[in-house]
Amino acid sequence: MGFLAPWFLAGAAAIGLPIWLHLLRKHKTTPLPFSSLMFFEKRTQSSIKHRRLRYLLLFALRTLLVLLIVLAFARPFVQQHIPPRTRSNEITVLAIDNSLSMRAGKRLADAKAAAKSLVASLKPGERAEVLTFSSRVQVLSEVTDDHAPLNAAIDSIEPSDSRTSFAELSRSVRSIAKSLKLPLTVHLYSDMQQTGMPPNFNDLRLNADVKLETHPLVTKEEPNFAVENVVAPRRVFDNKKTRVLATIAGFGVHKDVRAVTLSLNGRAVETKNAEVPDIGRATVEFNSLDVPYGRNKGEVHIDSADSLPADDVFYFSIERADPRPALFVHEADGNGGLLYFKTALEAAGQSAFDVTPGTVDQTTNLSPSKYAFVVLSDIGALPATFENQLRDYVRGGGSVLVALGRHSLNFGGKVPVTGQKIIETRYSGREGDRFQVTTWLDTSYPSILKDNRWDDVKFLRAIRIDPGSARVAAKLSDQTPLLVDQQIGEGHVVVFASTFDNIDNDFPLHSSFVAFVDQTARYLARMDSGPPSVVVDSFAELRDSKERGAAVDVVDPKGQRALSLDEAAKAQNIQFTMAGFYDIRRPNGRNELVAVNSDRRESDLTPATPDTLSLWQNTANGTAEADTGAAGDQKPLSLWWYVMLAVLALTVAESLLGNRHLSVDSEAA
Amino acid sequence: MLQRFLDPATLASISGLDLVAKTVVDGFVAGLHRSPDFGFSQEFAEYRAYCQGDDLRHVDWNVFARTDKCFLKKYRGETNSQLLILLDTSASMGFGSHPVTKLDYSRFVAASLCYMANVQRDAAGLIIFDEEVANYVAPSTRQGQLFRLLHAIEKAEPGTRTDFAKPFIHFQNFLHRRGIVVVLSDFYEQPDTIIKTVEPLRFRGNEVILFQVLDPQEIKPKFREPVLLVDMEDARSALEVSPEYAREEYRRKIDAHIEGLSSAARSHGLDYFLMNTARPLDEGLREYLAVRRGRL
Repeated sequence: MGFLAPWFLAGAAAIGLPIWLHLLRKHKTTPLPFSSLMFFEKRTQSSIKHRRLRYLLLFALRTLLVLLIVLAFARPFVQQHIPPRTRSNEITVLAIDNSLSMRAGKRLADAKAAAKSLVASLKPGERAEVLTFSSRVQVLSEVTDDHAPLNAAIDSIEPSDSRTSFAELSRSVRSIAKSLKLPLTVHLYSDMQQTGMPPNFNDLRLNADVKLETHPLVTKEEPNFAVENVVAPRRVFDNKKTRVLATIAGFGVHKDVRAVTLSLNGRAVETKNAEVPDIGRATVEFNSLDVPYGRNKGEVHIDSADSLPADDVFYFSIERADPRPALFVHEADGNGGLLYFKTALEAAGQSAFDVTPGTVDQTTNLSPSKYAFVVLSDIGALPATFENQLRDYVRGGGSVLVALGRHSLNFGGKVPVTGQKIIETRYSGREGDRFQVTTWLDTSYPSILKDNRWDDVKFLRAIRIDPGSARVAAKLSDQTPLLVDQQIGEGHVVVFASTFDNIDNDFPLHSSFVAFVDQTARYLARMDSGPPSVVVDSFAELRDSKERGAAVDVVDPKGQRALSLDEAAKAQNIQFTMAGFYDIRRPNGRNELVAVNSDRRESDLTPATPDTLSLWQNTANGTAEADTGAAGDQKPLSLWWYVMLAVLALTVAESLLGNRHLSVDSEAA
Repeated sequence: MLQRFLDPATLASISGLDLVAKTVVDGFVAGLHRSPDFGFSQEFAEYRAYCQGDDLRHVDWNVFARTDKCFLKKYRGETNSQLLILLDTSASMGFGSHPVTKLDYSRFVAASLCYMANVQRDAAGLIIFDEEVANYVAPSTRQGQLFRLLHAIEKAEPGTRTDFAKPFIHFQNFLHRRGIVVVLSDFYEQPDTIIKTVEPLRFRGNEVILFQVLDPQEIKPKFREPVLLVDMEDARSALEVSPEYAREEYRRKIDAHIEGLSSAARSHGLDYFLMNTARPLDEGLREYLAVRRGRL
């Protein structure tokens, strides 16, 4: 028996209180002068003794009560014998790291050789299985005592471009231990990268019947250079020189100069020297890149001459395309803000769109399908044929931007294409509110995402429409919906409840107008501006809902089809498992060249400290159990509850007995 | 209103014994003014026709003026009585469970009786005794007698043990006139012994009143726990007493003692009155007046 908080036993000194109350105080008889003792007799002594006996019982109860309370605070426990956990039928798990960092030197080969020697040392009947891990865990063999399949599984391990995740390994080991319901001894062969450790150490927790044996392949940090990042545009639409920015990182290195080369489609474009400081980063800027039409494979690589060449190159894709046409329809008696709209698009930086203006009358002979998007700027009535074509265009995936103005009221009280009802025109006159401002913006909406500084924009006139089920992205101060997005079929119609012409509002005079027009145009044209490269193990969407059943071809960096025929017809997503270029060919002609790079956290070859590994091993009590397992274990069983129950019972008894004495006293009083 | 001054605890806060006595008697008289029987001044008795030789001072001249006949106005004859107070000052009288000890209470009673007697022109005397006669003031109606009495009472202090036999032999020498003898004591003695000692006073035609002065703690002792009691009259005698005994056995004994003394006193023509020191003083005064009225 022991105590979890033995210092509380000092409280046993409180026993002195009942002792004083009963033995000292009670027996201290103060002589009381009395007028005469002629009516008292000596036989009263026996009564006192009897009474003292009764008090002694109360005294014993109170002493015991104090003792038990002290005992409860001291948290007593007894050692409970737990039968020894037998590690019979123990299974040996060989976990071999095949992350990108294992490509450095002979790390993977060393790991495989060590694993094989362990397989050779297994006793007959001793079962094992082989698994490999990086960001994912792959089980390469069944649980078997046959050495041949185990060795074959070890031989089949290839290095990957994924990053190390010890948390994923721990999760898998926990899962295996739970399913097998047998004790596991995990032999971990890895370079034990510090960057592979999860932020939350609890993710490394192992089950109690798992014993972890680590076999670090390196014990000290190795110097390594890597191209950490490249900044380049995803698409270019003109023949200007393109700027490319590369970041070179040195891990555990001394100050050095490295040659950095920019290549496009395998041809070196430019080479520059980068001076990398001690354990730091250097930036190299290339301004001479001429991008030819089509999808191009860009690379930035360095002559690192270190043990890990896999991170010496960084892939990025860059596409050269002509600007896409956009139709801008306005009334004949006004250009409807064409100047502002077009200028804003051009000011956005890249001339991704070629705006084609046209009056309402000219739309009769136009087909909207050849335009990336259509703008209806403050128009009255549309020719019926063109409006029907627009509706079909939107249902098929096209997009229309509608700006409402004074002419819109002539359109039968409805918004073109969507048919939403126009309720009224909101003027801001000389009386009352001089102008309206935006009071609510949905900052998650693509048009507003990058610039939501609309506070200073003054709206003098706005057309109030009934948005119905459409998404409202902005509202004016009188709650008039300013920006409404209505989905029709596969396409979108975005309604702007004012004009682009600096008459109904001064929006075109604000910088936020440029961002609004640019982002809206890209949103309507479905021109995503994602990064020029992604990391290994990330996902990409292969098809949308209307492309269900159509085959999607994906060619991996090795030039092989990444998907089987079945996957090509059904898979919604693909995970990029290799560094390099993935060529994705979609049925609607939207082809994409995806540059995939390994996670640069793998470039930091600093191993985890032995303390960290020891802590990880101790998350499972495997080691301790292995030492004491034969003799069984002692588990503390807390007696707190039992003591408190005894305290409760004693309190009741003390109250009852004490009340009896008190009742005598009260009568006397 | 003045009744509250009869409370012993209140009287204890008054410094002068003369003031205590005045307060008690005046308050007592004021409390009794409605009593039809009360009156110790000259009281009208009857009219009687004048006879030759009658003192002309008693002729009611108002009646003569209206009826032209001489009538004498007769008053109830008054007899001056003698009051002798025997105050026990033994050590046991110094006991008190509250601010007023038995001796204090007895002094208040004695002083009040002396004051009342003085008002009625009764000759009052005082004997203070324990086992010996400690002080003696002979009964008298002389000027300054009250102050002599009060002074003697004031000086009375608890003495030694009680011995009735010895001083009471002397008392008989002091009693030459018959009158009222008031004995103020706690009477911690066997009733037979007390009666035997006191009874000779009765033989001379005295009215004897026994005022047994007891503290509430003596009548109904209340102890929360066993106590060691020390006899105030004999410090060597001590007993440890349990609350149960005090609550049951002792009460039976003291009640029997009180009852025995009371019945023995009455059977021998003595008046007995138990005075609880927690009770107002007027009860004792009322008893004295009842006895005195019987003598008139």
